[in-house]
Amino acid sequence: MANDVFRPTRRSLLRGSAAVGAAALFSGLPARRLMAQDAPGKPAELIVRAWGGSWVDALKKGVSDPFTEATGIAIRHDLTEDNEIQPKVWAAVAQGRVPPIHINWDTTVNATKSALRGVTEDLSDLPNLANTTELAKPVGLDGYPIVNTYGYVYVLAYRPEAFPDGAPTSWHALLDPKFKGRIALYNDGIGFHFPAQVAGGGKLEDIPGNMQPAWDFIAKVKEQQPLLGEDPDFTNWFQNGEIDLACTISTNAREAKKNGVDLAWTVPEEGCKFDTDGLWIPKGLPENELYWAKEYINFALTQGAQQVWLDGLGLPGVVPGLTPPEDLVNDPSYPTTPEQIAELIRISTKVQVENESEWFAKFKEIMQG
Amino acid sequence: MPETPADFRYPLRWRLMDGIEALADRIWPRRLAPWTGWLLITPALLLVGLLVLGLIQIADSSLRTLDTATFLPSEDWSLANFEKALASRVYLTVAWRSLLGAALTTFLTLALAFPYAYALVRTRRPWVRKALLITLFLPFFIGQVVRAYGWLIILGNSGMVNEALSLVGVAPMRLLFNYPAVIFGMVQYMLPFAVLLMVPALAAIPAETETAAGSLGANWLRTTWHVVLPMAKPGLIGAGLVVATLSLTDFAVPAMLGGGSQDFIANAIYDQFFRTADQGLGSALALMLVAAGSVLVGLVFLVFGAGTLSMGGRR
Amino acid sequence: MISRGQRLTIWSLVWLSIITLSLPTVVVLGASFTAGNMIAFPPEGLSLRWYEKIALARDLRQAFFRSLIVAGVCTLVSIPVGTLAGLALSRFRLRFAGVIQVYLLLPFTIPLIGSGIGLMLVFGQWGVLGSLWPVGVACAVINLPFIVWSVSSSAVLLDPDLELAAQNCGAGRVQTFLYVTLPAVMPGVITGSLLMFILAMNEFLVSLLLTDARIVTLPVQIYNSIRSIITPDLAAVSVVFIVIALAAIWLLDRLVGLEIFLKSK
Repeated sequence: MANDVFRPTRRSLLRGSAAVGAAALFSGLPARRLMAQDAPGKPAELIVRAWGGSWVDALKKGVSDPFTEATGIAIRHDLTEDNEIQPKVWAAVAQGRVPPIHINWDTTVNATKSALRGVTEDLSDLPNLANTTELAKPVGLDGYPIVNTYGYVYVLAYRPEAFPDGAPTSWHALLDPKFKGRIALYNDGIGFHFPAQVAGGGKLEDIPGNMQPAWDFIAKVKEQQPLLGEDPDFTNWFQNGEIDLACTISTNAREAKKNGVDLAWTVPEEGCKFDTDGLWIPKGLPENELYWAKEYINFALTQGAQQVWLDGLGLPGVVPGLTPPEDLVNDPSYPTTPEQIAELIRISTKVQVENESEWFAKFKEIMQG
Repeated sequence: MPETPADFRYPLRWRLMDGIEALADRIWPRRLAPWTGWLLITPALLLVGLLVLGLIQIADSSLRTLDTATFLPSEDWSLANFEKALASRVYLTVAWRSLLGAALTTFLTLALAFPYAYALVRTRRPWVRKALLITLFLPFFIGQVVRAYGWLIILGNSGMVNEALSLVGVAPMRLLFNYPAVIFGMVQYMLPFAVLLMVPALAAIPAETETAAGSLGANWLRTTWHVVLPMAKPGLIGAGLVVATLSLTDFAVPAMLGGGSQDFIANAIYDQFFRTADQGLGSALALMLVAAGSVLVGLVFLVFGAGTLSMGGRR
Repeated sequence: MISRGQRLTIWSLVWLSIITLSLPTVVVLGASFTAGNMIAFPPEGLSLRWYEKIALARDLRQAFFRSLIVAGVCTLVSIPVGTLAGLALSRFRLRFAGVIQVYLLLPFTIPLIGSGIGLMLVFGQWGVLGSLWPVGVACAVINLPFIVWSVSSSAVLLDPDLELAAQNCGAGRVQTFLYVTLPAVMPGVITGSLLMFILAMNEFLVSLLLTDARIVTLPVQIYNSIRSIITPDLAAVSVVFIVIALAAIWLLDRLVGLEIFLKSK
């Protein structure tokens, strides 16, 4: 049901789970902003880029549906991969076209590349930023070209059957001859470079200056004939007994587990890479669409929206007072305090953005040799 | 000789046809006949011209380097991307792997496609012919991702083939995620194209030719080698060229069945465009691949003639 | 006249091909009837729930119709262009024929990513992105060699004397073309256009770069919906696809006969 004018009725506020979100929108925004006569005209729909599967389901339930409920603006999800939308958006901005999406749900590193390139709109004036933790602010950029919305961890996922004595405690488990040909990493090694630096005996402070320990460790891993792939590959490989260990995002491991794959995950003693994802708006949108895209992101920062969205993802958010999902209480992949985050490996976005292509190339060089 | 009756009227169709002929003479007079070939081929040249326009854009970005402080391409042109690509050991490995892969795939695909096309053309039972045709088109309808999953079920560590092998006491072995798996997947992907391109050439060989060769004492192997294959050469070359160029530039099969360590050049190009946002380097790699592929095609045309395409021209 | 050794050799190779071609499809077909949440083989219990799901999925249906449009545009563009080019190459002596052939194979020598990025920039500059026809045109370009070549290989079957004979009997150029040349290359045109249609229906990478969320086509929709797990509805979509294709092939057989692939009139 699409209301043309924002006028939440009592009934719409009480309707189902979406009502929670709508109420959050209502209370989370200064009423003036939405009620104002000068609020620009509403577009029929906004397009939000999202990852498919359980990722978009969570966003839809926590943010998009309640937003539609509250504003009457339909949300269409573009499921193009973050890497693959990037050249499309960049080309659109460079050619002065209207970009294909209104809001990009993106990794902070990729988003920062877009911000540096100057294709992002500034989001500093979102009122709900006042209620966010330090995690929401992108590091090393002026203002808020992106808003981080949650953190996530590249865990070590394993098949419990292969570890009768309990979870592996170190990334060195990847080097166990028993698991030769039975381990998996992301195609470009993302998430693995930093733990490899520690496991290889190096220091995190030496990144990016001296990453030889990481490359040495990765070279040893190469001897183990790892499979390289993406999230659905990992799930297939675990499901069909091809692999016993993988470095992957906890959300995907959790999703596979929920669907019956025998799987568990851990944060080894060397630590795991912790990073953030965020939302941003590409330049070149009509004035009114930009306004409502900002409202969408503002809404995604309300406690109500974050709670539902991030329950679906199983990830820690950027507003205080969120309750972790039952299955993740005290899980090391769900850090809630600054101390817990400090136990993970967090490298500044700036360093990552400047060096990532070199790291990927180096990783490829080792793996393709 | 009877005279045409006075009330005879040309049928409408004739008059229509005469009109069209007259129009054709007006638009494209007979003196332009030597250029008719060019007239016919111009639309295709224009359509492919779209890709050339794209290539020009790609050539432009291949000359610009990426600044990771701003993620913008440089203002001025340089050959840095080409130098970087040529100096890299990885790209050399990957390029060699792609070339070898294309060659192997072409050879194996033709070896399988030839008997398939032969059976398709020569079988006397229509239902067999239909079944063979339908089987060719089946694999198109499952996307690469789902197809790769199918292979995992069949060839995986605990897949059907390994299960079957274990029944006869063979230990499970890794059949997927290596170079042979990529070649196998590629052959499976290319086979329908090769068969379809070969069928017309084989259909043009009268069955009597073989009978004649047989009656002169040649066994079927000799007949195939000395009679059928040479006569089918245009089809073989056409199919071979298509398979070679498509497998040289393929990206999905190595990504799906190579387990991530069997990249072809197209995968490296994908990485530059989509993973590291270095469009300049990706463009340089793409241009070099186009050049290599075109040189290869040109050489084949020089050495073997233009295959199917030269039939008319040779006369 | 076919010896046993020949029959055995040929048919064992053919069976090898048949198995390789169809086995993954059979597995996927079976996996689509699973009752579980994930694609699996053998399926965990039998059910039609995933078919029910795709029957209710409006976005899949819309994407399917968009793919039909794209495939239709592609075929409509490629039939005249490809047929004429195929005839030009096989029945006319062109100067620089070798160069032209290398040029016309560009769609295959350019990696799809290159074609996709290039076409995205060109169409973007022209301001035509956002509609379906450029996607259809793009599919026609990247697969053009298929139809050019299948037409020109069919032209091999036509004796040029037939055309001369027709003109000797007083047929004009258009008449000769319509009644002699075109029927002779019809098998090539049909094979080629069928191939163009099917390939456009399934094209992913270039379409990904040329579509947006409002005009997303079926393969793009399917591929992008995969994130953590491959859900069985994707297998079900493939199966529905195959059933539709079989129906189309059956219809084609009834209407014109599949024999037309192999024999010219």
